[in-house]
Amino acid sequence: MALEVVTDDIPAARRNAGKLIIGLGSLLLVAAFAMQILYKSGATPLGYDTWRVVLYAYVVWGAALGIGQVLMRGEAGWRALFILPAVLFTVAMVIFPTLFGFYIAMTDWNLSSFSGRKFNGLDNFWQMLADPYYRNALVNMIYYVLAVLVEYVVAFGLALLLNAQIRARKFFRVVFLLPLMLSPVAVSWMIGKSLMEYRFGPAAKLARWLGWDTPAFFATPEIARLSIMFLDAWTFIPFMMIMLLAGLQALPKDVMEAAHVDGATPWQAFWGVTFPLMLPVSITAVILRIIFKLKLADIVINVTSGGPGGATDTVTSFIFREYRDRSNVGYGTMLAMVYLILIIIFITLLLKFVSRWTRDVN
Amino acid sequence: MSTEVISSGMIGESAVTPGMKARFLGSRALIYGALLLWAFICLFPLYWTVTTSFKQAVNVTQGHLIPWVDFQPDWKGWRSLGLSPDTIGTTSTVRDEFVKRFTNSVITSVCASLLAIVIGSLAAYGLTRFKYRFAWMRNDDISFFFLSQLILPPVVLALPFLVLYKELNLLDSRIGLILLYALMVLPIVIWIMRDQFKSIPIELEEAALVDGLSVWGAFFQIVLPIALPGMVAAFVLSLVLCWNEYFFAALLTSTDAKTLPVMVASQTGSQGINWWSMAALSTAAIAPLVIIGVVLERYIIQGMTAGAVK
Amino acid sequence: MRKEVYDRLMQLQSSRRNVLKGAAAVGALAAGSSGFIGALTRPASAQDDLRAQILQIPGVGKGQPTDADFQKVGELCLAATKANVKEGEFAGVELTFMGLNNQNLHNVLFRGFLKPWEAYTGAKINWIDLAQADYNARLQQSIATSTVDFDILQMGAPFEGDVCGKGLTSEMPDWVKAQIDMQDVVSYLQPPVGTWDGKQYRITVDGDAHNFNYRTDVFSDAALAEAWKADTGDKAGLAEWGVPKTWQQVQATTKFLKGKQVGGQDVYGYLDAPKAWGGFGFYFLGSRASAYAKHPDDKAWLFDPDTMKPRINNPAWVRAIQDVIDALPSEPPDQINADPNQTAFQQFLAGTGSMVVWWGDVGSNVKTNDSSVVGDITGFSILPGSDDVYNSKTGQWDKLASGPNYAPNCAYIGWGVYVMARVDSDEKKKKAAWSAAAHLGGKDLSLWCAAYPSGFQPYRNSHFNIPEWVAAGYDEAFISSYLKSEADSYNHPNAAIEPRIPGIFQYYSVAEDELAKTFAGQGTAQEGADRIAAAWEKITDQIGRENQIKLYKASLGM
Repeated sequence: MALEVVTDDIPAARRNAGKLIIGLGSLLLVAAFAMQILYKSGATPLGYDTWRVVLYAYVVWGAALGIGQVLMRGEAGWRALFILPAVLFTVAMVIFPTLFGFYIAMTDWNLSSFSGRKFNGLDNFWQMLADPYYRNALVNMIYYVLAVLVEYVVAFGLALLLNAQIRARKFFRVVFLLPLMLSPVAVSWMIGKSLMEYRFGPAAKLARWLGWDTPAFFATPEIARLSIMFLDAWTFIPFMMIMLLAGLQALPKDVMEAAHVDGATPWQAFWGVTFPLMLPVSITAVILRIIFKLKLADIVINVTSGGPGGATDTVTSFIFREYRDRSNVGYGTMLAMVYLILIIIFITLLLKFVSRWTRDVN
Repeated sequence: MSTEVISSGMIGESAVTPGMKARFLGSRALIYGALLLWAFICLFPLYWTVTTSFKQAVNVTQGHLIPWVDFQPDWKGWRSLGLSPDTIGTTSTVRDEFVKRFTNSVITSVCASLLAIVIGSLAAYGLTRFKYRFAWMRNDDISFFFLSQLILPPVVLALPFLVLYKELNLLDSRIGLILLYALMVLPIVIWIMRDQFKSIPIELEEAALVDGLSVWGAFFQIVLPIALPGMVAAFVLSLVLCWNEYFFAALLTSTDAKTLPVMVASQTGSQGINWWSMAALSTAAIAPLVIIGVVLERYIIQGMTAGAVK
Repeated sequence: MRKEVYDRLMQLQSSRRNVLKGAAAVGALAAGSSGFIGALTRPASAQDDLRAQILQIPGVGKGQPTDADFQKVGELCLAATKANVKEGEFAGVELTFMGLNNQNLHNVLFRGFLKPWEAYTGAKINWIDLAQADYNARLQQSIATSTVDFDILQMGAPFEGDVCGKGLTSEMPDWVKAQIDMQDVVSYLQPPVGTWDGKQYRITVDGDAHNFNYRTDVFSDAALAEAWKADTGDKAGLAEWGVPKTWQQVQATTKFLKGKQVGGQDVYGYLDAPKAWGGFGFYFLGSRASAYAKHPDDKAWLFDPDTMKPRINNPAWVRAIQDVIDALPSEPPDQINADPNQTAFQQFLAGTGSMVVWWGDVGSNVKTNDSSVVGDITGFSILPGSDDVYNSKTGQWDKLASGPNYAPNCAYIGWGVYVMARVDSDEKKKKAAWSAAAHLGGKDLSLWCAAYPSGFQPYRNSHFNIPEWVAAGYDEAFISSYLKSEADSYNHPNAAIEPRIPGIFQYYSVAEDELAKTFAGQGTAQEGADRIAAAWEKITDQIGRENQIKLYKASLGM
């Protein structure tokens, strides 16, 4: 699935011009960088107070790189231009923060400490291994991620409903989409703390009416975790639902009819035809959802602060406390970096696993 | 439930026996029951939020539900924002704040989404059509590189970004937020647009190339119009994520560029909650997205449909 | 109202409700006395007219004040500014103000107050509003990355170590001291609070202490009194049904009240706040512990001042933790997920629970907050005491000859307004910044703040002038009770004062995490306390033990 590779015959002069432009651009970038370093270190009086000039130089360098690519490599250069802006943009935005982040992770840096930050190697890492809160949060994340499967089933059900022959389909589609639009902050307050309030919340009243005498949604560990899962699911089910609905609408009609003609029961038709065809889009939806789920924090922070007794704590909400409430920046960053690496490994494995699987199905 | 749904569309066409008719009605009832139940689950919290913004304290603490029946609506919540009928004409420092933040939210989220759509679509197109090699990275690795930006918990980058933005003089500027938000939603855009472009038959472009168009010409004239609904879908999703972003907005802005979510969050201080003003602010904060959702919903599904099943 | 007057009244009352009914009598007694509060009556003057006038905006019982009211009050209180600043003097000056945007208080008020100030002086103020949860982080990060981007800062005394200690604030000019009448501030907020190395930095706008708020109707209920008499459980010395005076009695009444009803409504006893609240929740354990842990002969109660060895795992604190564990089953079913915000404003003001500890906000809100249904049935006192107090030096529980040990918890010491050192290089800007800050710390303006929901408590001697409050529409008995609880806390000889050491909220925050686990039943009180102690030792080492010892001693006045 790719356009064939083309090789142009590029004249030497044009190639050299390309090299020259890239060279000049690079020179400018290096010069700007050097100037600022010298200025900031006090070696020369020439320079600017902020590093913005390096940013401009980087933009110029990026443009030079693009032009140079086209001049030097012709068609291949034009093709490179598609991806270049995104790559340059992303690299520019994350390279410094990531490197600096890794450095911070290896320091003892408490913002309240008068002595500032001290390099301490892997001490934070060893401390992390013995940290019961981090371990507890990681275990909770497993529960939270498993909940995605339930969300998937519900989202799939809703997508099937919306795809059926129904009246007022547009109305239902819009309504089902709405929860996605709400900010987690508003959700935590208006739903978690108001609607599910023990005394006056309508949800609690409903629960009482249904026979639950003490509808405290956040008081026992299991129920609190379920309530958080529910709140989070409520906002994100529409996300999966629209992806799945889009998939259903794109299903080839003839295949469905063939299944019907063959006399398959609806149940068989679903498992034999619809579900396998939907597998790729399902996997995309579930993986994106898992990634969002792994960052779950806002609702937990606002509604339970991780309680009762850490039952609803997520890794991100724990890092928030360590980082924000305790200004323990070095350790907090180490926790986050390790979490990042864990997620990357997990997602890579997941992608490897499902890619083999989807290929089998297709 | 799902099986019923698939069958229901087809049963109507075949010969109808009384037994089938009963089954058909039963499945209909089930479908609409489920639809209405979920619609209620989706709408009730919104209803609760909107009505709470018109409540007085006692209505909240007693859980009154229906305006004019349970309680007498009151402009209290909106008055605290300077947005009620009787305060709208007067000077209100709260409203000024609100309007300023609202404007900033609109500008940053729209610009960031647009930026992400532009560079994200280009990248997604490149990744689906051409083979790249950059050091050890091939297309899949480059895609994963982009995706990995989505994984990053924002808190990791808090302090580094603070330092970086300070040095670049981007603190408390809309540009700074726009760049950051664009980075944040870029992976989603690339992911969605990649599926989009994959679903467009490559023969279209091959024909265009034969006709003498360049790759960029083919992209703009042939591919882009087809992929437009997908771009709208990606745009709306980006908009939602940017609009609701709170963490960096609180960290990197102070006066000029501050956005709405920070204002919502800060309703929650040490003195209990004025539910009515919290609700009014929440309503005002979600209203634009709800409107966008209603208007553009068609494109969202349509846009995602194109690339969904391959 | 003098203590003896109060006490006599208490003895006279068979029913607490009569206190309210007998308001006039109490008022007469209080007004005639020459006690702490009564001493402040002055001859009527234009000043008094102004104070009476602003207290009518919008008027007690007329709903919560709005932005228009803030502006009106700000306008009326401009006289002090006009005396020091010429009209339009600060034209062209732009200032940035960082503070909280809590719940339509703090910055929202300040914006309204300063609007007329801006109009008069010509300066323009930009605002950085923060949620309380973000406040500490934002401040610390600004300091650590040298991105201080504000000229005026609203800050609590606990952060002085982090900010003033690093030389980031501007020293207060003398004309400001005169304008705000520093001498009027209550004694516990006088230096060393607000100073660092002997220099004055802070304009106080708030005074903070935890007091004890209780429901007068519950503790004067005849049916409950009968039941109490018939009760065979441990009464902790509370022979007749009435307001608990010690934590032991609070425990006993809380257990007793479970399942009881008053006026057809479930009634609960004490309301604990076990859920973490960004460090602030720890103060509520502190209030339960201060009577056990704060020995009159010892200024310290959180740490050993010579070594910074935590005392959190000593028998006194462990007893307080155990009290919470014991009381929780008798509290509302969802109490484990209640933070202090919920106990005071969602529960107590809304009529759930009959005892709660909070800053003075409960008192200033019961009458004026729209959520409140307990305006006429709330009474106040200083924190309950304890029959015995732990002596850290001997490791023994002491019984004091004077009776129960009382130790009001002066938690947080209140908000102040600070001017940052970055304005010092520009005289005009410096004067503008201090003028704005002084406007907010003004004597008359602060009276209004103390009387209405503002997030700020009384903090000046002149705030305790009861006739002013009564004229504003407050019930005399009520306001006397409230102000007395505040004043007695501030002036208590055995008050437990918050240490102003750097990173104090880190200690609190980590303690909250461990407490949450303990309250949820994971481990015993002692185990939880030991874990907190270990975590505190780690933080002390990280921040620098020597320095912390020095600052801790200084903050205790040792």
